[in-house]
Amino acid sequence: MAILSENGASEEPRLDKARHIKYWTRCLKTLLPHQYTSNDSNRLYLAFFIISALDLLGVLESVPSKEEREDHINWIYHCQHPDGGFRMWPGTDFGVRASKDNAMWDPANIPATYFALASLLLLKDDFSRVRRRGCLEWLPRMQRGDGSFGETCVNGVVEGGMDPRFGYCATGIRFILRGTMSGPLEIEGRSVGDIDVDSFVKCVQLAEAYDGGIADLGFHEPHAGYTFCSLGALAFIDRLEVGDHAHSKRSVATAPTNPSAVISWLAYRQTELTDPDAGIDSEFTAPDDTTDNDPSQKPGVGKIAKIQQKAVTPAHQTAEHSVGISIFDLLVDGAGMSGRTNKVADTCYGFWVGASLHLMKQPTLYDHAAMRRYMLGKTQHPVLGGFGKFPGDVPDLLHGYLGLAALGLSGCEGVKVLEGGMCLSREARERLPLLWKRWDVHDEE
Amino acid sequence: MGKYSEDPLWADIEPLPTDEGGPNPLAAIAYSEEYEETMSYMRAVMAANEYSDRVLELTEDLIDMNPAHYTVWLYRAKTLFHLDKDLREELEWLNETALEHQKNYQIWHHRNLIVDRLDDCEGETEFVEQMFVKDAKNYHVWSYRQWLVKRFGLWETEELEFTERMLREDVRNNSAWNHRWYIVNGREAEGVKGEWDEGLRKRELDFAKNAVGKTPQNQSPWNYLRAIVRTAGVPLASLKEFAEQYASLDRPDSVRSSFALDLLADIFAEEEGGKDKAGKALDLLAAKYDPIRKNYWAYRKSQLGLESSTPEAVVAA
Repeated sequence: MAILSENGASEEPRLDKARHIKYWTRCLKTLLPHQYTSNDSNRLYLAFFIISALDLLGVLESVPSKEEREDHINWIYHCQHPDGGFRMWPGTDFGVRASKDNAMWDPANIPATYFALASLLLLKDDFSRVRRRGCLEWLPRMQRGDGSFGETCVNGVVEGGMDPRFGYCATGIRFILRGTMSGPLEIEGRSVGDIDVDSFVKCVQLAEAYDGGIADLGFHEPHAGYTFCSLGALAFIDRLEVGDHAHSKRSVATAPTNPSAVISWLAYRQTELTDPDAGIDSEFTAPDDTTDNDPSQKPGVGKIAKIQQKAVTPAHQTAEHSVGISIFDLLVDGAGMSGRTNKVADTCYGFWVGASLHLMKQPTLYDHAAMRRYMLGKTQHPVLGGFGKFPGDVPDLLHGYLGLAALGLSGCEGVKVLEGGMCLSREARERLPLLWKRWDVHDEE
Repeated sequence: MGKYSEDPLWADIEPLPTDEGGPNPLAAIAYSEEYEETMSYMRAVMAANEYSDRVLELTEDLIDMNPAHYTVWLYRAKTLFHLDKDLREELEWLNETALEHQKNYQIWHHRNLIVDRLDDCEGETEFVEQMFVKDAKNYHVWSYRQWLVKRFGLWETEELEFTERMLREDVRNNSAWNHRWYIVNGREAEGVKGEWDEGLRKRELDFAKNAVGKTPQNQSPWNYLRAIVRTAGVPLASLKEFAEQYASLDRPDSVRSSFALDLLADIFAEEEGGKDKAGKALDLLAAKYDPIRKNYWAYRKSQLGLESSTPEAVVAA
């Protein structure tokens, strides 16, 4: 129940918007610290986080000038592959030394392409320089016989894991560039084929696990990130089964096969476990009867007793994780989301799980207030802005962005409403039909 | 001046720096000079399709700084195969790299490729266990372990004992539970039945029940129990007596496991006239034993056609 002020009244932790803007402005305008070198080959997704965070905070058109935004758009196009699709960064482009013989080492990349297109949408680009036909011709070649998608295609071999992150990005590219139109499409006088939607659906069905979650492959452990990617991809191709009556009579293949099991697994992800170092072996004890069981007490009073209890028994923390820990950690009650059964909360799963429940049309099945308290009271960085992975962690781009995105799902003052399935603002998503109209494609729904 | 530009071995290579294309590139990184130099030599070598010993060293340097570089891994594999290198040595290098970069998945993809080509998994399960000392829930490592089992047919060897060992360390390690499920049920494609076999089923039920006995508030074995009965086509009610040891509506103040209560709610719901009891179990979860999910418990009630009640009303009743 939040922070106790001196007079005993409680106060919810707030979004320190100015600090978040400062954090993202720094990410946009200065070089990222050298620790990001290991993510050099992921730069387009880092770029998406920066652009989209500034959009969610409502400052994308004021922090960078019009000229700077134009430069950013040009950089994204600089990453475009000559045959369509995008590279993650200019690092594979051989420039003047590019030739037919080394072209195989400079492939377009599926996630890079999704994040490039999404960033262009956020920057209000007109898509006139997107090699749309080339990109849509390349897309079906990125699908394997089993229905899964890869990351790149080198020398005719689809490379990269078989996990649904690539399926999500591939179907997202298809959604942006051709809506939900299925089958061959006439573009620039040529007939462009479609991906095999049915075999992709089958892939997701096979990855549904015994406890209701979805993994990357059959029999792997279910994971909230893969669950989101699978559900999001199904939504992009209009094959998501949410378990309501409207969908159950459809004749086409849909997934998941057991929507209520997925919903239950997702609901179970919310957890009050926050300390990555603590053993989670403390045995279950029923809440103290004198506080939670007495209806004469005002709501929330029981929680205060719990907070005081927490204050006298500090959580286990290694020295490393104790550094910079916010004072809120001991005072603020909250519950974030875990990515797998019996794991502790982590900022990014606030998005993966929250958005999954939104996609399943059950956005109220988690405690939004407890989630906001976890993020705003525990993982929001009190000095640098942004969000860390765990309480007290320094912020990073992924958690900083997905934290904002999660808040955008929960209705938080200062953050734009999020379109969960695309992980960007609803405002940006609503610009898509204008592009579709120009290309004469539409959302079939 | 750097490692490569000063080395006569590399004098014939004209480095190829990356071109950012114009002002204000996005997500630009404060690279070290060392990284910039290594990248510009790597790019020059790849542009020339050179597959040589010195290239292997170059890729090692680059991967150490940027293990997510998706084409350099493929380039290294191609170089190894082209030079017909000793793949055992490659595994030794990979061991160090994997221990250093725990969260990278390209490393495991590459390991897959090498071990598949070696057609021999000697030492692999031991290495995997070494990785688990650092992080017993590492997703890439568990995925790799599954692949080893399937590729080399390790079903019958010591995999079950391995899961028992991992669960003795941490009975809440859901990855280990998942692996056990795989070992017991993952051979359907080969025509080996899993939970449908009665002896097997009893063994697995006992194993999971024993784990619940040690840690009643541990969701993993409860999920495992539910999955066994569902997969085997046995009624959920067969778990009723067991669940009632941990939760009972007659003793609402001494519930030992919220998961037992959740299971009982499902069992009651299937019983004739049991919906009200199911509703009571769900109310108890919402009010007392799992209030963070109060909206979910209300949803479960609505799925049964029951009105939701406010937690206050339940407690007062």
